[in-house]
Amino acid sequence: MTLTTPSFASPGWRWLKSRLWQLEHAFERAKAAGRAEDDTRIRIVVVMAIFSMAFVVLAVGATRMALFQNDSGSGISRPTGSARADITDRNGTMLAADLLHYGLYVDPREIWDTAETRQALHSALPDLPLRRLDAALRGQRRTFLVGALTPEVRGRIHELGLPGVTFEPEQKRVYPLGQTAAHLIGFTDTGGVGLSGAEWALNDPVRAAAGQGQAVPLSIDLRVQAALEDELFKTATAQRVKGAVGLVTNVRTGEILGMASYPAFDLNDRGKATPDALTNRAAASRYEMGSTFKVFTVALGLDSGTATLASTFDTSKPYNIGGRVVHDYHAENKVMSVADIFIHSSNIGTTLLATQAGAPVVQKYFKAFGLMEASPVGLIESAKPGLPSRWDENTVASTSFGHAISVSPLALAGGMGSILNGGTFVPLTIRPVKPGEVPKGRRVVSEETSRAMLDLMRVNVVRGTGGKADAPGLRVGGKTGSAEKVIDGRYARTTLLSSFAAVFPTDGPLESDRYFVLILMDEPQGTPETFGLKTGGWVAAPAAGRVIDRIAPFLKVERRPDVVAADPKAFTPEHLGANER
Amino acid sequence: MNLFNRYYRGVRLVDIVATAALIALITSLYFGKTIAGGERTEIAQVERQIQDEKARIRLLRAEVTHLENPSRLESLSASHLGLAPIAASKETTPDGLAVALQKAPVS
Repeated sequence: MTLTTPSFASPGWRWLKSRLWQLEHAFERAKAAGRAEDDTRIRIVVVMAIFSMAFVVLAVGATRMALFQNDSGSGISRPTGSARADITDRNGTMLAADLLHYGLYVDPREIWDTAETRQALHSALPDLPLRRLDAALRGQRRTFLVGALTPEVRGRIHELGLPGVTFEPEQKRVYPLGQTAAHLIGFTDTGGVGLSGAEWALNDPVRAAAGQGQAVPLSIDLRVQAALEDELFKTATAQRVKGAVGLVTNVRTGEILGMASYPAFDLNDRGKATPDALTNRAAASRYEMGSTFKVFTVALGLDSGTATLASTFDTSKPYNIGGRVVHDYHAENKVMSVADIFIHSSNIGTTLLATQAGAPVVQKYFKAFGLMEASPVGLIESAKPGLPSRWDENTVASTSFGHAISVSPLALAGGMGSILNGGTFVPLTIRPVKPGEVPKGRRVVSEETSRAMLDLMRVNVVRGTGGKADAPGLRVGGKTGSAEKVIDGRYARTTLLSSFAAVFPTDGPLESDRYFVLILMDEPQGTPETFGLKTGGWVAAPAAGRVIDRIAPFLKVERRPDVVAADPKAFTPEHLGANER
Repeated sequence: MNLFNRYYRGVRLVDIVATAALIALITSLYFGKTIAGGERTEIAQVERQIQDEKARIRLLRAEVTHLENPSRLESLSASHLGLAPIAASKETTPDGLAVALQKAPVS
């Protein structure tokens, strides 16, 4: 390249090239000319250029950082503040949520007119104790006065324009449904830690989901829960009971679709609830269930090969064990088949069946049904059963009709489910199971036994003690229970625990969805409608039937004609269990 | 005379250029930071609005849940409208409805 070659470039371009050429060779020329001062100057220029470049890079980087940096961690945006995620039912209806509330603070040093402020705050917050307000106004520093103010209340006070009255945002756990499903949802402490119910059981998932802005669904269906509570509470009030329990579960998946305990309480006002109302009777209370236990006894008798439905037992006379005599409430005084023993709820019959099976077999099956341990539902309230200290003949006889062993309603529901779902023990759960998912379980009885028990329970409703639970076209099966309660160490004949354990629909494939409903009344008093009677068939069975009637549409169970109801007499013990419908 | 020995009114030309460049750099950085700060404030305001709206949505959802509480609706519908759960005998299927309509007397 030469710059001496004649060029047709513009004068400006020629000037720039000559200057660059001069600059490029200045160092050589200076050295050749022996001008040391120029040599140093050029070195300085080179160093300056390098520094200038470095500064330019830094400036560009700083500008880029200033203009395009991610603001997410800048601290300017407010954190969401929710310590716990929303809890919803299986359809997404909100059951619990952290909502923005406000704490009210008073700084007396900034207040101009104490009397006016006192009057204004007292008018706006009439529930606030005056003593507390006066103490805050007399103080010398900023004081917290009251918390959990809704945005509406905060806005109302803010509009008063009171000097020295300020607010700070805070999160409060709110339960929009009040007392609906209160025992199952549970509650937290003021620090946002779950103390009971699902709030305790799902504490970690709920806190983890809060960061992701997701809700945690429960297995319950609010529509089912509402119908269950409505019927349970109406019956409980009418019967003036000490307590009551209602449960609805899907026996295929183990999902709890509804859980109610009476008396109930308002989750938003639990400070006013009595310890009795706070008790989740479905999980924390244990009862000697009475004749609903005959479902377990007959199932184990059939499954162990001790008897068939057609096997007969002589129930014509009371049964003596040691010094104890077992009577029948509905005495038939005849030889009965196993099917008749179940339908007539014969204590003598189940005693004979269980004693024939023997204590080891009874214990083995009771353990398989989950009756010998707390229901593994995950709730802190889930109570351990009250088990007999020794399993002699007397104990086996008593447990065969639900005495001498006390379990929680949840444990009963879990065991019943294992018999009614095809024979697999599936633990109950308060989390929803994905559609089509088949939960893992352990086999406890055969499919034949499961089918026989479904048929037997259906026949018991059609022509047995559970007739008042029948819901038109829904093929309801069930078993009554009327357990005498132990008062002062003795069974009291008129103080009953009345219950009804229902299942619907009893037909269809064993692996299809099927629902278990339990209604339990603790010490019903009888009403004119029940002619003063307090037994499960009169008290709990009608309520169970009404619950089933109302929840079937939500569970997509269609009404249709039933073979058993059409011709109940055709169902002999030989037919039962052989009908693969 | 090379570039570095040029003077303008007694001041070396390269110094004037460097000073001008420095002032331009500082000014542009100032404006850049100021504009960016304004943008950040606006972004923070929008984020705050989003958070407030989210909180309001959650509050409204909670209110809706409270108002749509099945037990509340049931008591209101029973006391004000005299409604009750439908009896099984009143239920029908679409096919059953068509049959019933065919059988209905023509007025």
